[in-house]
Amino acid sequence: MQTEVVKSRVKKIMNSNEMVGYVFAFPFIFGFICFSLIPILTSLRYAFTDFSLGSKTMEFVGGANFKQLLTDEVFLKSLRITLKYVFISVPLKLVFALLVAYLLTRKTRLQVLYRSLYYVPSLVGGSIAVALVWKQLFARKGLLNSIMGEMGLDPINWFGDQKLALYPLVLMSVWQFGSSMIIFAAGLKEISPTYYEAARIDGANMVQSFVNITLPCLSPIILYNLVMQTIQAFMAFTQAFVITAGGPDNGTMMYALYVYNQAFKYNHMGYACAMSWFMLIVMCLITLVIFKTSKSWVFTESGD
Amino acid sequence: MVKKLLASFLTASLLLGVCGCGAASAEDSGNTSQGGTDSVQTTVSNADPSEPVTLRMAWWGSQTRHDITVAAIELYEQQNPNVTIEYEFYDFESYFTKLKTLVASDQVWDIFQLGGNFPEYIDKIYYMNEFIDNGTIDVSDIPEAYLKITQDTEGNQIGLSNGLNTYGIAYDVDMFKEAGVPLPTDNWTWDDYKDAALKISKATGHFGSSGLASSEFIAGCSTYIGQQGNVGQYSFFNLDLTGMGFSDAQMLTPYIQMRADLINAGASPDAGAEMEITNIENDFLVTGEAAMTWVAVNQFPTIYDICAGEGRTLALATIPRVKADGPAGSVIQSSQMLCVSQDSQYKAEAAKFIAWFQTSVECNQILKGERGIPVADSVRAALESNLTEGQQIMYDYVTLVGTFATPDKVNVLSPNGQDEVVDNYRNYIQQVVSGEITAAEAAEKTYEDAEALFK
Amino acid sequence: MKTKKILIKIIYHTLVVAFGFVMIYPVLWMISGSFKDNSEILRGSLSLIPDELKLSNYATGWKGFSKITFARFFANSFFITAIATFGTVVSSSLVAYSLSRIKYRGRKIWFTAMLATMMLPGQVIMIPSFLIWYNLGLANSYVPLILPYFCGQAFFIYQMMQFMSGIPRELDEAATIDGCSKYSIYTHIILPLLKPAIVTTVIIQFYWKWDDYMGPLLYLSKPKSYTVSLAIKMFADAASTTDYGAMFAMSTLSLLPVFFIFLFFNKYLVEGIGTSGLKG
Repeated sequence: MQTEVVKSRVKKIMNSNEMVGYVFAFPFIFGFICFSLIPILTSLRYAFTDFSLGSKTMEFVGGANFKQLLTDEVFLKSLRITLKYVFISVPLKLVFALLVAYLLTRKTRLQVLYRSLYYVPSLVGGSIAVALVWKQLFARKGLLNSIMGEMGLDPINWFGDQKLALYPLVLMSVWQFGSSMIIFAAGLKEISPTYYEAARIDGANMVQSFVNITLPCLSPIILYNLVMQTIQAFMAFTQAFVITAGGPDNGTMMYALYVYNQAFKYNHMGYACAMSWFMLIVMCLITLVIFKTSKSWVFTESGD
Repeated sequence: MVKKLLASFLTASLLLGVCGCGAASAEDSGNTSQGGTDSVQTTVSNADPSEPVTLRMAWWGSQTRHDITVAAIELYEQQNPNVTIEYEFYDFESYFTKLKTLVASDQVWDIFQLGGNFPEYIDKIYYMNEFIDNGTIDVSDIPEAYLKITQDTEGNQIGLSNGLNTYGIAYDVDMFKEAGVPLPTDNWTWDDYKDAALKISKATGHFGSSGLASSEFIAGCSTYIGQQGNVGQYSFFNLDLTGMGFSDAQMLTPYIQMRADLINAGASPDAGAEMEITNIENDFLVTGEAAMTWVAVNQFPTIYDICAGEGRTLALATIPRVKADGPAGSVIQSSQMLCVSQDSQYKAEAAKFIAWFQTSVECNQILKGERGIPVADSVRAALESNLTEGQQIMYDYVTLVGTFATPDKVNVLSPNGQDEVVDNYRNYIQQVVSGEITAAEAAEKTYEDAEALFK
Repeated sequence: MKTKKILIKIIYHTLVVAFGFVMIYPVLWMISGSFKDNSEILRGSLSLIPDELKLSNYATGWKGFSKITFARFFANSFFITAIATFGTVVSSSLVAYSLSRIKYRGRKIWFTAMLATMMLPGQVIMIPSFLIWYNLGLANSYVPLILPYFCGQAFFIYQMMQFMSGIPRELDEAATIDGCSKYSIYTHIILPLLKPAIVTTVIIQFYWKWDDYMGPLLYLSKPKSYTVSLAIKMFADAASTTDYGAMFAMSTLSLLPVFFIFLFFNKYLVEGIGTSGLKG
């Protein structure tokens, strides 16, 4: 009798929303605390020390690391370079993704094949193999310059000029527009054909219906892609690490690469942590700005 | 503390010993094996010879070095069936990046290669005195003086040297002739060098001088300081590695200006071209796109052979001087050494391998002095009787450098954090090239960066 | 009128194909490079057809280095990728179910935390995470490369939540009336319907993990445990010019698994994302 009561009680507790919710959310809560929250807080603590790998002691140095950031020329340059990279590559990538997705909405039997074709760069772009190919493409005697040569143009020393060196990396990022494209394609499918029908009856042309129907309907997805791609662009590391190693004259010293160098190459862990934190604040600000402005351009269906 | 870490200073007498190549007498016979006993923190059980042992080993270098080192390792495994050696090799920068993460996680390779930057890793080095004292390894074949080049001032045997080495400039004889430029003399100057590079690049359309960046800072920039004033008056860092060895940053200016001028004139590779050089074997000199390059002379025989295979002749010239009758600034030093790691479980086995690697004639007939002129007498004798042309040039060159007047004491070590100074220095040169800053400013900045290491 | 339509069609297809060809040209060039002689690659030859088909590049490359063949590196990569992908699917779907279907105190907080992790730059936690693993003595193992994936990946949790919002709640209610617990609703109703979202997760997580370079770079120190991406970089660094062909050969092989997964699941991919709607 008693066990019966206990059993049903246990069952009730187990089935309560609170319990079920936390049981299912447990992996995330555990991971969030262990792999995000604790590292972030530890990182904050290290940011105020002169900690370095291998040394068993560390000293509290107050705000010295943060003060140093303001005078570190390489840091300021890497910040500039990274912002430039983000502001050029993200919009270009989204424009390409949207245009191609729009073009490919045309129903043909080859649609799936075409989408796959354009998705291939996204699929392989993050790999070391493609980064090595990229390095070879833009080398002094690489593929691109041999094309230029055949057209009778002077070769371009991509990686020798710090004004140019960033562009092969930008191009590589834009080249991988496939994943954004697929998300756009999915969004485009959701737009009810009746909207276009109505627009056509009103005499709107392709461009007009794109601007007045497609863009507003897609705006939540544009926002999503914009935020995700911006974050991803801020974190770019492998390309710069493999292709240019940050050169020439730090012309491609992406933020993430400089953090890595300070942490592991120059062995200034504390300083690297301070840089990471600065990065976090910058990213928060930028995301905040995106969300704040989004209110004026993201079109939400009522009741959603 | 820093002083304690310093490796012994080379004496002029030692250099003369090198010239004899074999008859080196240890004049300074300080009792090397006594001071090190306090470094022995753990007792190492001598492994049972049948017990399987796995050693991890790593080094940096070129493809040739990888191939011959692997061959040597295979020979050792054949002779010692219980030992398995897992090896890793990297280019120079990746090697040290990897090493730092291993230092952090206390997993440094059992046997690892270090150069003049060893003070940074001193905590991870297990001194070899113990193994020498208790007879685990026999290094009697290595003259005292050559053991000393990898000891600190207290006589702790930090490692065993891979070979003797010095810097030089390798050049393509035919390219000089083609451009009508006189061949370098033993006391040519930086002006001669610049002149040659400019003329050759104008005449042949190739680079006058390549710029293998990792050794240029030490072989060029820091040597340039030592060449000024009287012999031994200046050095880049001071002898105890506690501060700078010169006080006027402008002493660097002419050198930086020259580097920038050469790049601007297309006589030296710019950053983009330099990026394509991953190791000495694809340096522009070797690929036929440059007439000169910096080498640590142990690299010379390899590239000599490659070029000879293509019908080209290479030769070795000294590092140019500031004044033809001024100090040469070059010294003979240990190329690198192999060390036993504190993290190793089989320290004695690691030491045995290192001793074999440096003293076995059989092994060194595979290695062929690629890491420098071997330090063990019998090995040197065996190799000398059978030198290739490239090796002969290297031997002659080392002998020549040995005759130059050198200070009583020199410091061949790099302080902690030098990597960042060198990276910045290279960028400053780029900035001078692009006209962002002047050479004088670049010199000032480099000096400030270097000085900041000691604050 | 009809010819004009056909003409437009032809122009459309030609344009799409031509642009697509340019897009995948670098990949094709790499594949053809894997059959080329080294000198041909270094000449910067444009041609996709090698002068002579050099299969030996594959044999040379496969030998790897340090007596470890690429078979080992592929096995390592498969091991890490498969387990991490599996972990991502299971944990992300659990968390997504909790956040989208169950009402409990604190849900809003965890949802916000999830969004925040999605936007957290990896570099911020890269170093402290490394130090934590190091202090746990696990810095040189597969654990840091795998365990976090069993804690749900925000990006996929979010996608699955979007997808679940498209599954009618009436199904849950009907099941509850039939006496189903919330646990069996997950296993019997949600999970089977989630298939398209799961496929998307598998593809994307698979190639993210397969291509991952930074993680292995930090956490793996013995060549025996290297993944393919790390092995290729090491191969490229150590090799002098003589080995470009072999490097491209191994690079080509390294992309094959990703291609196969993609081809196999391709038609689900757009659908999966499509039905999830992704409305902000």
